[in-house]
Amino acid sequence: MTLLKDTEQGTEPAPTTAAPHTGRRTWAGAAALRWTALRLLALAVLLAVWQAVVAAGVWPRVLVPSPGDVWHAFVKASTVHDGVRGFSNHLLVEHLAVSLRRIGIGTGYAALVGIPLGLLIGVVKPLAVVLEPAVTFLRTLPPLAYLSLLVIWFGIDESPKIWLLVIAALPPIAAATAAAVRGVPADLVEAARALGAGPVSLLLSVRLPAALPEILTGVRIAVGIAYTSVVAAETVNGVPGIGGMIRDAQRYNQTDVVIAGIIAIGLSGIVLDALFKGVERVAVPWRGRV
Amino acid sequence: MSPTEATSPAETTAPASDIELSGISVRYGTAKAPVTAVADVSLTVDRGEFVVLVGPSGCGKTTLLRLVAGFQQPAGGTVKVRRKVGVVFQQPRLFPWRTVGGNLSFALARHGVVRTERAARTEELLSLVGLSGMARRRTWELSGGQQQRVAIARALAAEPQILLMDEPFAALDALTRERLQEEVRTLAAVTGTTVLFVTHSAEEAVLLGSRVVVMAAGPGRVIDEVPVPLPREATTDVAALRGDPGFAVLRTELAAVTRDAATA
Ligand SMILES: Nc1ncnc2c1ncn2[C@@H]1O[C@H](COP(=O)(O)OP(=O)(O)OP(=O)(O)O)[C@@H](O)[C@H]1O
Ligand SMILES: [Mg+2]
Repeated sequence: MTLLKDTEQGTEPAPTTAAPHTGRRTWAGAAALRWTALRLLALAVLLAVWQAVVAAGVWPRVLVPSPGDVWHAFVKASTVHDGVRGFSNHLLVEHLAVSLRRIGIGTGYAALVGIPLGLLIGVVKPLAVVLEPAVTFLRTLPPLAYLSLLVIWFGIDESPKIWLLVIAALPPIAAATAAAVRGVPADLVEAARALGAGPVSLLLSVRLPAALPEILTGVRIAVGIAYTSVVAAETVNGVPGIGGMIRDAQRYNQTDVVIAGIIAIGLSGIVLDALFKGVERVAVPWRGRV
Repeated sequence: MSPTEATSPAETTAPASDIELSGISVRYGTAKAPVTAVADVSLTVDRGEFVVLVGPSGCGKTTLLRLVAGFQQPAGGTVKVRRKVGVVFQQPRLFPWRTVGGNLSFALARHGVVRTERAARTEELLSLVGLSGMARRRTWELSGGQQQRVAIARALAAEPQILLMDEPFAALDALTRERLQEEVRTLAAVTGTTVLFVTHSAEEAVLLGSRVVVMAAGPGRVIDEVPVPLPREATTDVAALRGDPGFAVLRTELAAVTRDAATA
């Protein structure tokens, strides 16, 4: 139940904070309530169809567990019972927390490197010529392809996982930053130059802030990519970790645990994305006004 | 713009010119299909002069200002600019990630005003354009006319010696426009700022300019110059000047000349 409550809290207040007037706020509140009701209805329909398919017995229960089975697996993985702690000695939230931490650190490093890199690519033409194909090359690689290399180089501890997430998250951040910096309106650059801005202050006080909305979007996309890559990162020695948990469950044919893990990833992703959008609204209120 | 061209004012006998455009032509478009925006324009603006450019839309007034500001290279001819330039653009071009005050302190910082003095200077500039107490406002919360006034204050913050103004008052209500016309006229007289000013209004041209340069389109060129022999002291009562009979005559004359320019 805890997870469901979390998502409701995560999605419900978001639309209301955007409305500046009280009159519009109540209106937006009513609308948000209606949309939430629609979402819950869709969810109920999905669960009903799922349950019906399982009840019809088209596939064996081991392959397609019922919603109840998944819920049971979820509860079992989230509690200590008969001296066993969750799944593979860790609670589901602990698995999730470890993965989220990896995603956070990976995306953090990616932003730390990717934003300056994107700035340079955006303004220094020779660098763009060399680095842009490299970034595109990295972006098209599936993480599983370079995981083996990272394991050979960095072993099976934490570092190959972080490296994988950095490599997966960096290209979208660098590409978004470079594109945003190039797209800064010439009008504003001219205005700054007319006020005596040199190259450094043009870059840091004009191009960077003007590009910030798109950079943040790039980071949000990178978080999403890190999310989809974390399971790949945790295929080798991934426990604790939600990807490791899913792989362990797969090894023992525990389909219900696999599905519970997938749902946990997806739901936490929705919450995180909503939080990120909130951060964007606060950090770049001028979005769309440049 | 280059420092080597700077002349020391004390030594020179004749009033040095601040801007010299000679034989300027400007082309836009591709090499295959060039569009000549401006052809063979020569224009000299002396130090302390207030030159107003008038002419039909598309005759190249903005293009000339862009040349002087260094944002545009001529296809032919030479551009000489001898002192520090400031620009008020046709649109406000404020930085939306900064507040109103932030926009001004950006200019103040580039101009070398120390941090502790910026707040006071900001408030001074805002009151000059009638926006006292608006320093903390978001730029997009202001009306178009208010934004343009912030842009004017921002340009003045850098204390330019040559001020380029591209229809700066077009978006303002009549009262604010008159007030700012008086402010700019007085400011130019007091500080000795050289001004190159674009407008569509004959009244504004005669009121502000010491000389009005009339342009025509297709391609853009200078077709006439009208000197304005009105008093230009710092103490001149600009409001009274509007009612002056000489002012009315000049305005009517200029309106006739610009009408001809539109068909030339
Ligand atoms: N970036 C550009 N690319 C192509 N053509 C341009 C460009 N800027 C201006 N032109 C052309 O150059 C000519 C002069 O333009 P300019 O903006 O200088 O006119 P203006 O006198 O300032 O007009 P207005 O009074 O409408 O502001 C016009 O014919 C215009 O179409
Ligand atoms: Mg123009």
